[in-house]
Amino acid sequence: MKDFMMIFIGADYQELGLSPEELQSRMGKWFAWGQKMEAQGILKGGEALIPTVKRIVGQDRTVSDGPFEDSKEIIGGYYTVSAKNADAVVAIAQDYPDYDLGGTVEIREVMVFDR
Amino acid sequence: MESKIVDHLFRHHYGKMVAILTRYFGLAYIETIEDAVQDTFIKATLQWRKQLPVNPEAWLNKVAKNRTIDLLRSIKSQKVRSEKLLKDNSSEELNDLFLDHEIEDSQLRMIFVACHPSLKPQEQIAFALKTISGFSTREIAAALLTKEDTIAKRLRRAKQTIIKNQLQFDFPPPNEVEDRLARVMHVVYLTFNEGFHSTNKDKLIREDLCGEAIRLCKLLLKKEKFRSGSLYALFALLCFHASRLESKTDINGEIVDMLKQDRSQWFFPLIQMGNSAMNKAMEFDKVSIYHYEAAIAAEHIKAKTFKNTNWNKILLYYKKLQDLQPNTFTLLNIAIVELQLNNFEVVRQILDSFEASDLEQRAYLYYGCYSEYYERRGDLVLAISFLDQAILNTTNALEKRYLEKKKVILQNRI
Repeated sequence: MKDFMMIFIGADYQELGLSPEELQSRMGKWFAWGQKMEAQGILKGGEALIPTVKRIVGQDRTVSDGPFEDSKEIIGGYYTVSAKNADAVVAIAQDYPDYDLGGTVEIREVMVFDR
Repeated sequence: MESKIVDHLFRHHYGKMVAILTRYFGLAYIETIEDAVQDTFIKATLQWRKQLPVNPEAWLNKVAKNRTIDLLRSIKSQKVRSEKLLKDNSSEELNDLFLDHEIEDSQLRMIFVACHPSLKPQEQIAFALKTISGFSTREIAAALLTKEDTIAKRLRRAKQTIIKNQLQFDFPPPNEVEDRLARVMHVVYLTFNEGFHSTNKDKLIREDLCGEAIRLCKLLLKKEKFRSGSLYALFALLCFHASRLESKTDINGEIVDMLKQDRSQWFFPLIQMGNSAMNKAMEFDKVSIYHYEAAIAAEHIKAKTFKNTNWNKILLYYKKLQDLQPNTFTLLNIAIVELQLNNFEVVRQILDSFEASDLEQRAYLYYGCYSEYYERRGDLVLAISFLDQAILNTTNALEKRYLEKKKVILQNRI
């Protein structure tokens, strides 16, 4: 088994102006998905990220505050899951609730460092 | 942890929190408050993904309160009570407002603000759906079959009016209660109608609108000072109508007319609730339009089959309704009932006494009535041509399909 990260990009609820009813239904789906992975024992961790962004760029270490024009699609959070291979994670990611809002799931394998 | 959040918790809680916070901070800050409450739900959707709080409502209240204070603090040059909040312990005062009976009280105040005479009727409905019922601009637009931009404008105008006129977050003074309550009831009635008579494809939206109207009506009935014959009658009317909401459309979302509705599907508990409200309504002296409308709805429900409908009684109620509040739409209904009674001469007289255009977007109903008139008289050719007029005058796809189906049936009979 290997560890993979599912990185969730876009579908920022704040920006989309979702209604309380829609938010509740989204929350329910996220919760159910988390429970499902938990029950399968594959969920290793994860965080949701607050959409305010600070950037440090260049040799001068220039600090700037978002929102940035080029980052309309910001990272909203991630889950780490353990799976046989990336295809298995693709199967897990079918339950991601926000595809219909233009959200993307990016799957990346976590590197294991040699001891 | 196997746990579930109550249906519509967010939406209902939106209205509650906005009302409470507005009561504390004042109507002038309603936009900030709405933002804070919206932020709270976004935070909840992120945090509750992993673990639901033990007491979701308390969690929401706390976060919304703090967020409002934060936002208000960040607004410069303000003389808001948030400054006071920093200094003394008046946040206890705020906490008290989150007690159940105070929540209802705050929501009722908000209803009266929404129905304030300085707002236009269309703004009143939009504002009520947003602020009290927690609908988003998009949901309101979908519910009222209006553009999102239009709704956004109405909401903006409503808020500007509230701020410009410095409306107070309070109940109307005793001498104005009756007038203002009449407006509130009208908005509740219109909200319900939007759901009930709307031909919105989305059944959920229709049910939500009707549900909200009933909820607001119930809320008003809880306060003794607002109870009146007309309020009980309005509640009865909503219950009677709502009982057959389910059978108004079939599984494909197509319209089913009264003649064909499966009457065993009508929801009995709502009918019972309507009946007891109607009995209460009769205990008051004053008879309102809602009394007659509820009586008409009750007659329809009493009939075991469409054929058994007591049209004479319904006709009487419509006539009384017309005496009390003359209205072209009621006149059309009288014509429709007279048609059921085969009083052809009368039907003609009534229909010729006004123009289809008097019914505005419901003009197709006028042509539909004329079509049925000719159908009953055996002139199918004219019946079809009026049906064509009806089809031309409806923009709604569902209604159009319903009328077109009817046309095919008539054509096959020729």
